[in-house]
Amino acid sequence: MKRWVKGMRDAFFESLYQQARTNKNIILVTADTGAVCHDKFKKHLRSQYINVGIAEQNMVGIAAGLAMAGKIVYIYAIIPFVTMRCYEQIRVDLCCMGLPVTIVGIGAGFDYSTLGPTHHGTEDLALMRALPAMTIYSPADSIMADLFVKLSLTQKGPLYIRLDRTGFPLVYKKRLNKEKINIDQGLSVLKRGKDICIISTGRMVYSALQIAKKLSTYSINAEVIDLFRIKPLPKKVLWDKIKNVKYVATIEEHFITGGIGTAIAEMIAVKKQSPLLKFFGIPNRFCRRYGTREDLYNINRISIEDIVRAIKKWIRK
Amino acid sequence: MRKKSIKQTQTQKKLLIHLAKKARWVRKKVLSMTVNAGAGHIAPSFSCIEILVVLYQGRVLRVKPNKPKWGYRDRFILSKGQAAVALYAILADRGFFPVSELKKFTRKGSYLGGHTEDTIPGVEAFTGSLGHGLSIGAGLALAAKMDKKKYRTIVLLGDGECHEGSVWEAAMFSAHHQLNNLIAIIDNNGLSATDFLKNYLEIKPLQKKWESFGWEVIVVDGHSYKALLSSLSGISSRHLSKRPLAIIALTTKGKGVSFMQNNPIWHYRIPVGKELKIAQKELTYIRREVR
Repeated sequence: MKRWVKGMRDAFFESLYQQARTNKNIILVTADTGAVCHDKFKKHLRSQYINVGIAEQNMVGIAAGLAMAGKIVYIYAIIPFVTMRCYEQIRVDLCCMGLPVTIVGIGAGFDYSTLGPTHHGTEDLALMRALPAMTIYSPADSIMADLFVKLSLTQKGPLYIRLDRTGFPLVYKKRLNKEKINIDQGLSVLKRGKDICIISTGRMVYSALQIAKKLSTYSINAEVIDLFRIKPLPKKVLWDKIKNVKYVATIEEHFITGGIGTAIAEMIAVKKQSPLLKFFGIPNRFCRRYGTREDLYNINRISIEDIVRAIKKWIRK
Repeated sequence: MRKKSIKQTQTQKKLLIHLAKKARWVRKKVLSMTVNAGAGHIAPSFSCIEILVVLYQGRVLRVKPNKPKWGYRDRFILSKGQAAVALYAILADRGFFPVSELKKFTRKGSYLGGHTEDTIPGVEAFTGSLGHGLSIGAGLALAAKMDKKKYRTIVLLGDGECHEGSVWEAAMFSAHHQLNNLIAIIDNNGLSATDFLKNYLEIKPLQKKWESFGWEVIVVDGHSYKALLSSLSGISSRHLSKRPLAIIALTTKGKGVSFMQNNPIWHYRIPVGKELKIAQKELTYIRREVR
């Protein structure tokens, strides 16, 4: 039975709201982008909520100034606008100065499937990965999104959190209760297996589990890893998990260029012996077709069926 | 009463002479540092020397050189980061770091580079990319209001920098939030890196622009200590206003060296040979009227 829960955006901001009620240093800055929970901020924590208007460059500068004065700042907008529109401000004001500002991007991959390429979050990981001092977290469900709030409160430098707008089933079920998730490790093994290791992040972790389930009907035993910290990449732990596996597949809702697949490839390329690697992600072109998020997965050949078929073919060769 | 005013005039005269001496020293220092390094922006620095000297030596900014991170200090952001070389000379003179460090400007291993970095004692923000400083300043000013702290935030911008859209985003924001503790000084020399602004993208009327964005505006002679001091004298009573303050300082790029003045090619050129001799001579011997 599928258990649908509130989206990670709502979980994140609800948790942030609870923290902000007791910690007056927490400031939420948005560039005219809303969320259900923001109404609570506006109503009850007015002095801790700032809408800078449709001005992302200024938003980053304001956040930098506030952080310099000791505030714990969160800036929030749709992914392309909060990462690309103000990229140079993030680079200089936040990264060069190492300021503890959390950038919250909403709409990973094709989350805004009907709004077109301007609103697709398909390059953000590549961009944020390139910045020194940046830390990147990509939660797979609302349980993780909630955990990252506490983490962000004590973060020393800039942090980017990539969120989903819509709700989908929990990946971290109740039996994996919050205490058992090792946040510091940077990844979680969600399913054990020996034939292939599937590494994924964000919403695609849910797809990866479905893919593993389908592969098992073809006697392919897949391991599933949720890579929730993308930068700094948990290299040592990750290498321990994949060094003895023959096949490694990465699945992400991001351009293959510069995403988690590329990050892992950079890591294993310098090893003497490495597993075979296959990338599943969005090809490097703008998706000019519309539909639901799943429709766009189909168009870009990253649906569960597409990936199962490709992996089967790859391993059976 | 009259005695008192005479005394005041005398103290002010002394202060003006003191400032003029400091400005002369800074200009010479900037020239020697840049020539020694073969790098640095001379003309953009010369344009705002009086402004910087008045801020740091004219008892305007409340700072403690022995405690650079003192919580109640005024925050000064050099948004036109290319004038870093001038700021470094002044900070060293005020004792934020040893004057001997200036010799190492941009040389191997030195922490003093062509643009200001926040890790240097006395420097608040990492600048060099234009259009960032006012937003950061607005954030600092807003935080001061939130925390009910009395520090003031002063941002020095170039007029060419005002071509950046982010400056106006920040201007709008500051007026909306009534940041009366924020002061923007615009070094209005009419030139940028390659040309006169009027030749490629006119910035005038600067005063009306800032006013229409909800700022209080004062236009002053940017090389007159008296005018700068009087424009900044009101910053202690800014709480009476509801608007941020913009001081448009009319300046001359390259001020102090005849052949550099108002000549675009001197934005990033270092004088050599005969040029250097003339520059040194002019900075040492030509006495300008102290005003």
